[in-house]
Amino acid sequence: MTLMDTVTALILGFISIVLINNLVFSKFLGICPYLGVSGRIDMAFGMGLAVTFVVTMAGTLTWLIDHLVLMKFGLEVTRYVCFILVIAGAVQLVEMYLRKFFPSLYESFGIFLPLITTNCAILGLCLFLNLWEIDNFVRAVVLSFGAGIGFTMAICIMAGIRENLELADIPKSLKGAPITLITAGLLALAFMGFAGMIK
Amino acid sequence: MILSYPVLCVSLQQIWPAGAIMVGLGGSFALVLLIASIKLKVEVDPKIEQIQKALPGIDCGACGYAGCSSYAKAVAKNPELIGKCAPGGAATAAKIADILNLQVSSGGHPQRPVVHCNARTDDKTFYATYQGIESCTAANALANVQACKFGCLGFGDCVEACKFDALHIIDGLAIVDYEKCTGCTACSKACPRNLIEMVPFPQENIITVACSSKENGKTTRQMCKAGCIACGLCAKQSDMFVIAENLSKVDYQKYSDDEKVKTAMQKCPTKVIIRVGKNIEANAQPVEKTTSE
Repeated sequence: MTLMDTVTALILGFISIVLINNLVFSKFLGICPYLGVSGRIDMAFGMGLAVTFVVTMAGTLTWLIDHLVLMKFGLEVTRYVCFILVIAGAVQLVEMYLRKFFPSLYESFGIFLPLITTNCAILGLCLFLNLWEIDNFVRAVVLSFGAGIGFTMAICIMAGIRENLELADIPKSLKGAPITLITAGLLALAFMGFAGMIK
Repeated sequence: MILSYPVLCVSLQQIWPAGAIMVGLGGSFALVLLIASIKLKVEVDPKIEQIQKALPGIDCGACGYAGCSSYAKAVAKNPELIGKCAPGGAATAAKIADILNLQVSSGGHPQRPVVHCNARTDDKTFYATYQGIESCTAANALANVQACKFGCLGFGDCVEACKFDALHIIDGLAIVDYEKCTGCTACSKACPRNLIEMVPFPQENIITVACSSKENGKTTRQMCKAGCIACGLCAKQSDMFVIAENLSKVDYQKYSDDEKVKTAMQKCPTKVIIRVGKNIEANAQPVEKTTSE
């Protein structure tokens, strides 16, 4: 395989995880922060960046641990525990960093920041890397990063729509959570259109 | 039992690498986090911590902030907010001022809630029996269950709001226990009829008009045996009482506890001028019923 092929494969992988196999839209992972922190677009973007950082770090580290340690010793059963350990550590790091350099963002996240630990999109991605049999380190990194970008894109689109929904005249019974869930469903439906774009 | 021994043996042999790896991973992450926590340490202003210790720590929200810790942060930045802690009162304000190297002027008297209604169940008139949700807000939405639109409904939304067990419904009327009250304003916000007013208490107990009825004297009389009929006898005795909108009110700027006011209290035909606060027992009794002709 030439260098060109590798680069093409990487770019395709990136586009595929952002648009086609988007963790939120097609796998329905990470719905909790997707609905919880998508009230305002600046907060949603901050959340997206935090998740991107954590998922890139966690995806990379877990791939390394999985391939260099767990598979060598035949300890695949401890995958979940090890992955959660990595994610929790990464979230702690992000939390300290944000508290130091972005205190206002830290305040506005509140409980959702430590809850990135339990964001299933992140653990999901780490497990998908194994499920999809990604055996190339660079590809694992690109996919992890792409997953984060995909999440950021999803949550920002949602926040943009919800900011405009504030001004819309919604039937009383649909106000709040119902219209948000309907919006999420329609968005997911729209993104189904990308399926089949890459063969 | 015969089987379990070899099974245990095998699993123990398989377990140790798993354990070792978990310990190794956990240890290395702990090390990274330890270094990060030292490098990324956030210096908190020691004054904020001191102020937080000086505050009551009940997170009542009377100051307008989410809790004591956010108020502590705000007050450290902006000392103008010093007197906002109602439960802590002057003592807390002085402590905070001390921490911030400021001097606090003795600003105002402590504010305490006063229920502007004196009607017990026996005094009230009801047009219908209310069988809905046991809450003042719900009952208030339903017009005319209780004849008086201004009277205490007695379902105890204020009791629910009070964190200090300082309010009780006695005979259909909210009574404040001033020994327990901290002046946090929760009850005055909870009352759907705005009967509970925060009032400055210059002494342990004060005289007030326990009615909010803005109906004219005749209507009030028909609806309630303990309502203010705006006869004006009190206003003739002392200029502390002001009659407006068919209701006598106390002007707290002019508050005094002199003989004139006491005479006014005695002369009030419906006995709606009462003494509230600490160390009074007499007013907890139901109002003497005035004999109608």
